[in-house]
Amino acid sequence: MMANQMNGAPLLEMRHIHKSFFGVKVLDDVSLSLRKGEVLALLGENGAGKSTLIKILNGDYTMDSGEIYLGGQHVQFHEPRDAEAHGIRMIYQELHYAPDLSVTENLLLNELPHGRGFPGRYAIDWRRAREMALARLKLLDLAIEPDVHMRDLPVVERQIVEIVKALSAEAQIIVMDEPTAALTPPEVEMLFGIIRNLCAQGVAIIYISHRLDEIFDIADRVTILRDGQHVATQAVAEVTMASVVELMVGREIEARRKTIEVGGGAAQVVLEVQNLTRQGAYEDVSLKVHAGEIVGVFGLIGSGQLSLTRSIFGAERPDAGSILVDGSACTIRHPQDARNAGIGFVPVDRKVQSLIMGQSVRKNVTLSNWGRLARMGFFQQGVEKQHTQHWIDSLGIRMAGDMEVPIRFLSGGNQQKSVLARWLEANVRVLILNEPTWGVDVGARSDIYDQLEALAQSGLAILLVSSDIQEILSVCQRILTIYRGRITAEFLRDQVTKDQLLAGAAGETL
Amino acid sequence: MLSAQSAPAAPPKRRKWLTDDTLTSLSLVVSFVLLCVFFASQTPYFLTQANLSTIASTIAIVGITSIGMTLVLITGGVDISVGSVAALSGVVTSLLWLEHGIPLGVATVLGILAGGLVGLLNGAIVTYLKINPLITTLATFSIVRGLAFVLSEGQTNLLSNEAFNFIGRGTVAGIPFSLIVMLTLYLIFFFVLRYTSFGRNLYAIGGSPQASRLAGIAVTRHLLIVYVISGLLAAFSGIINVSQLASSAPRAAVGLEFTVITAVVLGGTSLAGGKGTLIGTLIGVIILRTLDNGLVLMQVSSFYQDVARGFVLILAVGFDQIRLKFGQLQRSKGA
Repeated sequence: MMANQMNGAPLLEMRHIHKSFFGVKVLDDVSLSLRKGEVLALLGENGAGKSTLIKILNGDYTMDSGEIYLGGQHVQFHEPRDAEAHGIRMIYQELHYAPDLSVTENLLLNELPHGRGFPGRYAIDWRRAREMALARLKLLDLAIEPDVHMRDLPVVERQIVEIVKALSAEAQIIVMDEPTAALTPPEVEMLFGIIRNLCAQGVAIIYISHRLDEIFDIADRVTILRDGQHVATQAVAEVTMASVVELMVGREIEARRKTIEVGGGAAQVVLEVQNLTRQGAYEDVSLKVHAGEIVGVFGLIGSGQLSLTRSIFGAERPDAGSILVDGSACTIRHPQDARNAGIGFVPVDRKVQSLIMGQSVRKNVTLSNWGRLARMGFFQQGVEKQHTQHWIDSLGIRMAGDMEVPIRFLSGGNQQKSVLARWLEANVRVLILNEPTWGVDVGARSDIYDQLEALAQSGLAILLVSSDIQEILSVCQRILTIYRGRITAEFLRDQVTKDQLLAGAAGETL
Repeated sequence: MLSAQSAPAAPPKRRKWLTDDTLTSLSLVVSFVLLCVFFASQTPYFLTQANLSTIASTIAIVGITSIGMTLVLITGGVDISVGSVAALSGVVTSLLWLEHGIPLGVATVLGILAGGLVGLLNGAIVTYLKINPLITTLATFSIVRGLAFVLSEGQTNLLSNEAFNFIGRGTVAGIPFSLIVMLTLYLIFFFVLRYTSFGRNLYAIGGSPQASRLAGIAVTRHLLIVYVISGLLAAFSGIINVSQLASSAPRAAVGLEFTVITAVVLGGTSLAGGKGTLIGTLIGVIILRTLDNGLVLMQVSSFYQDVARGFVLILAVGFDQIRLKFGQLQRSKGA
C-alpha cells in the first residue's frame, strides 16, 4: 500500500495478516510489500513472527485473516504446491538435496529428460540432461561442474545449486532463510553476486538474516517485525545498524540492565578453561566463570562456540588445554564425567539433543539424576515425583495435564525450562547454555532470563553462548566475543556498546 | 492440522491406568483368550492337563531369550545372533564335559559365559565401530553358527546327567523347573526395567541416544551390558534346550531369533526403540507357544505353522498401528 504511489503496483502484497496458535497471537495485522527486482530484508528477533509470515506466504500455514496479492491479483495458497505454481520459492536454512546424486540430477530431479523411440524413451538421456543442467548454471554465469556429486561441493556451491534449482521453474519471488549462516566471508560475497544478478533479471528476494551487517550490503529495503507486529518498513539508505537494532528489540535492554548488580569479582572461580584448542574449531581459549556470575560468549553462528561448549562438557575431545572445576583439573572424556564434576549442558537443538520426546515431563526432568533417586538400586518414585513437582512449581513449567504428559506436548519455553530443571535436579554447579531461547516465544524467554538470574544469585556459575546480541546484553555480566574460534575481546556488560560487541564478533581488534 | 508443526497439540486426556502399554497388553490378553477358545473348540486335547504341561515345559527357551531381546529392542537395537548363541553354548558345554573332562557344572557355566562373550562382541561392534546392530548381529549370527559347527565337527553329542537333565526336564511340585526359572527371570527384569535407573536409562537411550548422552548417561556402557545380557540369556536357553533333548547339536535352535522377535514385537515392543514392557513380551511368548501347540494338535503341517506365525505377527502389529492412528485421529479432532 505504501509502495503503490512510488513504483506502480508491487509484485507481492501481504495485507493485514493475522495468525494465532491456540489463542496466542503470532502475527497481528502484519503487512508486507515486495517490488520486482528488489531485495527486501525481513528482520526481527527469534519469535517475532518472521517464519510464520513466510510459511503463510508459502502455503504451509493458513492465515486467520488477511489477503495476499500477487501482481495485483488476489491469491489463496492452501499448500506449498500452490505457492510454487505462482513462482514463489523457498530456500531454507537446512538445504534439501540428495548428497549422493550429481548436480545434474539434483537440478532436474523431477524432470530428467528421456530419449526417443522404442527402447530410448524408457531410459534417461544423460547427455541432454547434462546440457540442460549446464544451460541453467550458465544463466547465472556459474562454473559448477554438473557431474560432481553434491556431497563433494563446498557448502556455498550446494546452496547456489539450490538457488538454481529454485530458479529453474520460473521463480518470481525467492525467500532465503539465513542463507549465509554456514558461509565464510568470500562465499557470502559470491552469494551476493548471484543475488544481484537475479535481481537484475527481475526476481524479487525476501532475505532473512541475523547478520545485520549483511543487510546493508545486499538489501534495498527492510521490514522489521517485533512480537508479531509490523514495526517499520524503510529504505536501507535511511537506517543505521543502531536504529535497526532498536526497532527490532524495543526498549527491553535498558529496562533489564538496571536489575542486575555486578557479580563475580571477589567470588570464587568455579569453572576455568585454560588454553583449550581443537583443530579447525577453536583455538587457545581461556576463560573463567565465578560463582554467581553469568558469562556470555557472543559470536556469529559457526564461530566455534558450539564446539567449545561441547568440549567443556566432554561431548567432543579437545586437542590441548585443560578444564578446572573449583580450581582442580578435571579429566573430562565423556559427558558423564562432566556431569559428575558438576557441569550441566543445555544444547542448541532441544528436540534432538536434550529431550526424550516420547517420555513424560517427569522422566525428562530426572533423566540426569536417576542414579541418585534410587535407593539400594530401586527407584523411589514418590521422591521422584516430589522433586519433579518442586521444579515444576519453582520454574513455572506449564503443561496441559500433570507431570506424566509426554514432553513433546509442551511449548518450546516450557521444554527448555524442563531441561534447566534436569540440571538443577542433578545438582550442578556450572551450567553451560547454547542459544537457550531459540524457538522460544518472547514471554517465556524473559521468564528463562529471570530464572537464569535467580540461579546465578543462588551461586551457580553460568556460561551462556548466544548469537543473539540482545540476549547477551540482557543477562550477562561479563561478555566475551568469539570470532573464528578465537576469543577476540572481553567486556563488562555495563561498559560495552552493541557496536563494540559486533566489532568483536566480526574479528575487528579494538 | 496445520498447527501440528508449530504448536504442540493438546495431550490426550485419558484415565491414568489406561496407557498405551496397558491397552496393548489388554488386547493381547483378549486375543489369547480367543485363541484358546478356538483351539478348545477344535480339539478336545487342547485343554487337557497333559497338553497344558507340555506347553508349560517347552516355553522357557523362547521365553528366556525374549527377555534379552526386549531389552535390546528397547535401546533401539536388535540381536539376530541369539539362535546361534544358543547352539554354541550347548556345543561348548558338551565338548568341555565330554572331551576335556571338565565337571559338568563348570562346563555349563562356561557355556553360558561363551554366550556372554558373543554378546560383548556384539555390543563392542555396535558401540565402538558404530555398525548398525542388525548388520552386526547378522554377521555374528553367521560367525557363531559356523563356530558351533567347527567346534563340534558337525556332530551331535549325547549328553545325559541327572542333575543336568533337571534343568530342562525337572519339576518342582509339578511345575517345570525351567518355567520357574523363566518366571523368576521375568520378575527380576521386570523390576530392573521399571524401578532401576539402569532400566529407565535403556528407555531413554532408545528414545534418543544423543539426548541421553548429553544428559550424562553412559550410553556405551549401557549398550554393552544389554548385549551381554542378551547373549547370556540366549546361551542359558541353549543349555535348557540341550537338557531337554539330552544332546547338543550345532543345528540346535535354528530360527529361534525369528520366533523371539515375533514374540517381543507381538508384546508391543517397538522396533524403533524406547518402548516396550516385559509383561507384553511374556504374553506374546505365551500366545506364540499356544498357537504352535494348537496347530500341532489340529494336525496342521509344520509348513503351515510358519505361515500362520507370520500372519499373526502382521495382524498384531497392524492392529496396533490402526489403534495408534485411530487414537491420533481422535486427539487431533479434540484439539
